[in-house]
Amino acid sequence: MSDIVLALRHATKLYAGVPAIEDVDFELRRGEIHALVGENGAGKSTLTKVMAGVVGLTSGTMQVNGVTAAPRTPLEARHLGVAMVFQENSLVPTMTVAQNLFLGQERFYNRLRGIYIAAQQFLQSLNFDVTPTATVGLLGAAKKQMVEIARAVLHDAKVIIFDEPTATLTPEEKKYFFDLVRDLKRRGVSVVFISHALEEALILADRITILRDGRHVVTDEAKNFDRARIVQAMVGRDLSNTLYGTRKTSVRPPGARVLTVQNLKLAPMVKNNSLSVFAGQITGVFGLVGAGRTETFKVVAGVLKRDFFHGGEVMLHGKPVRYRVPAPAVRAGIAYITEDRKVEGFFETMSVARNIYLGLLAKLPGGRFFLSRREADKLGDSWVEKLKVRSTGNAMKVVELSGGNQQKVVIAKSLVQEPELIIFDEPTRGVDVGAIVEIHDLIQQLADEGKAVVVISSYLPEIMALSDRILVARQGKVVEEFSALEATEEKIMYAAVH
Amino acid sequence: MIPALKSFADRFLGRGDATITVPSFDGALKPNQILEQAETITQLEAPEDLATDGTSLYIADGPALLRLEGKGTTEVRRFDRAISALCCLPDGCLAVALEGREVRVFRTPSAEATTIFSDATFNAINALAPGPSGTLLATDGSATRPTSQWGHDLMERGRSGRVLRLELESGRVTTLASGLQYAFGVCMAGEALLVSESWRHRVLALSADGGRRAVLDHLPVYPSRLSSAPSGGFWLTAFAARTLLVEFVLRENAYRRRMMKEIDPEYWIAPKLRSGLSFLEPMQGAHIKTMGVVKPWAPPRSYGLVIRLSEAGVPLYAVHSRVDGLNHGIVAAVEMDGALYALAKGPRRLLRAPLGMIEKELQA
Repeated sequence: MSDIVLALRHATKLYAGVPAIEDVDFELRRGEIHALVGENGAGKSTLTKVMAGVVGLTSGTMQVNGVTAAPRTPLEARHLGVAMVFQENSLVPTMTVAQNLFLGQERFYNRLRGIYIAAQQFLQSLNFDVTPTATVGLLGAAKKQMVEIARAVLHDAKVIIFDEPTATLTPEEKKYFFDLVRDLKRRGVSVVFISHALEEALILADRITILRDGRHVVTDEAKNFDRARIVQAMVGRDLSNTLYGTRKTSVRPPGARVLTVQNLKLAPMVKNNSLSVFAGQITGVFGLVGAGRTETFKVVAGVLKRDFFHGGEVMLHGKPVRYRVPAPAVRAGIAYITEDRKVEGFFETMSVARNIYLGLLAKLPGGRFFLSRREADKLGDSWVEKLKVRSTGNAMKVVELSGGNQQKVVIAKSLVQEPELIIFDEPTRGVDVGAIVEIHDLIQQLADEGKAVVVISSYLPEIMALSDRILVARQGKVVEEFSALEATEEKIMYAAVH
Repeated sequence: MIPALKSFADRFLGRGDATITVPSFDGALKPNQILEQAETITQLEAPEDLATDGTSLYIADGPALLRLEGKGTTEVRRFDRAISALCCLPDGCLAVALEGREVRVFRTPSAEATTIFSDATFNAINALAPGPSGTLLATDGSATRPTSQWGHDLMERGRSGRVLRLELESGRVTTLASGLQYAFGVCMAGEALLVSESWRHRVLALSADGGRRAVLDHLPVYPSRLSSAPSGGFWLTAFAARTLLVEFVLRENAYRRRMMKEIDPEYWIAPKLRSGLSFLEPMQGAHIKTMGVVKPWAPPRSYGLVIRLSEAGVPLYAVHSRVDGLNHGIVAAVEMDGALYALAKGPRRLLRAPLGMIEKELQA
């Protein structure tokens, strides 16, 4: 019997022609704990989703126990013995632990008492301290995870995949989780887990695979890795022939302190986050998934509400502010340019001019009773020209524009409000190279004009190319600050995962 | 009635004045390890203050007045009580505060006192500085607690600090400002005075007409003594950093009173000049270490910081000894011969960091 329980050969998955993983080879041994490490967009989630049957491969093969398999659904994968525990767990919160365990395995006649007894015996055999009659919605994150694991084991899973299993766990719960995983290993179950915490990968895993930009970089025994080697493998890309090829040689000095965030809390994503943003500078904010960057700035912009009790403080120009909806934040001069432009950024069936005009109306208290088409067209024309939006005219619907031009409309919609603090969240995600250069130029220009600019990005080269100062967030708080002159990809990544 | 209800709601919801938040070390206060890398010139017994006349560096070490000579120190004079503040005057005189209750001025360090100020109201004179036209400026931290009990004054939410002008010729003492929440450090800044108000985490500018203006506030530390930098601007020291836990305790009156009554002051939830000496020390739980590694953002029980201020009082940069360091509790700093000398009261060290080294580290 082969020692390899699951293998992927030349695995490639394309989304709309863009590779999420490309030519990846991966092997999972029987009874091993295998960590998948990489920065955002490295392809970790796609790789695990392929294994779990959530998505199919575009090319390449997958083998389970030496037999070629191509699960098209998670149920098919489960029948092959591969189960995945998602970060947002898939339990039914209104049902009990026992009902969740046996969900999908019901018989014609189900005796609740029998299910509870079977669940109790099964949970005890796993040494899991969970009450089978408890409602899942009332359980803590760690216990929910135990139920997920128990369900996977109950379904006779030989491979269990965890996506960021420890992100929402307390330190004590993490230790317990590690014990659970080691126990699974003793039972001969193979475990794949994605982690952004290097310590966890180094402590828990037998082997570590590092992915970068959708490609396999290295797989080796965990004992042969240290933090420096992992970070080097995560970020060591060649940028010499890209638009990020040149390094910054000077930075803008900080102006007045525009924004101060003190001990902001928004459970469970933002934990005691503190930072400042200065005028006339670009403040880059880097962090891996779950670092709480977007949520922090959404609280600043009134899109999300901070925790009600002792949720910290946001100060604009030294004065405490608390926006419960975005409108007063917009009027106070804060513009938040969303990372999800299709959902939150614009009305896709409305014209470019109308979208930009809506941005202006948002700034006016109470809106405007009579709307002026002429004013909207004039405004649209001026911003289409200013931001070089490539369209057949300002009457063109936003949905008909390319990704880059759509992003320019979203930016114009905010800049028309003449904000003092502009927060760009992933400003060039899904944008073509030509538009990236133009958007970067625009961001630089705003900082030169003395505006306080924040750029949240998961792409390290972009953060380094744009920022004057770089804040690194990890698990809900800013943990390190670098000047753009001192920052290197390794230093930033080290802070993000350390 | 409405303010009382608002205050109650603020306390309940943790907002307004009852917000338990601490500003971050960022911008000009971006952390580094420069103070930790500074050279330790000498180990002292009970260091308190530093002063320089431009050529010599004087150190207040318990009751002894020391002078730095090369890499060692020489005792210049010994007093009957501990020195609580020290300063060199432009005419070459030396002013010394003894146990916070008396100020003596000497023409030379070994000469007899030319002027003695022993005002009955003096209680915790903790900083001295030359004032305009032959006067001496002093801060009296607390009217109720001696200098050694500054932690008690913080926990009692003391607000009896004063700024004084001592006239050397007439011996007259004038109160320039009172009701300060621990005045600890003063310095002339043009026509105005800069004063550190430790418990309000700010530096005030006092104008000649008695007006007060915060030139630096919302500091993440407790500011202390100020000194002029020869090239313009100032050095501001901070003897501890603020933490959420201490801020929280400061808002919980009943708990604080009980803590002060029942717990050894060494183990109060209060800022300290040094830490890590006992397992009894209170910690802000689960934040010091993660997976066995001391995290740089861990809330520090003690901290070391000197801030370089511009002539307008704007922070330019800062040198730090962070949570995992030793050179904590910086109470005095002066610039002399192209180097910054700082007194770390926690480990009782005199530190020296050449300005060239500081610039190099900041650029790195």
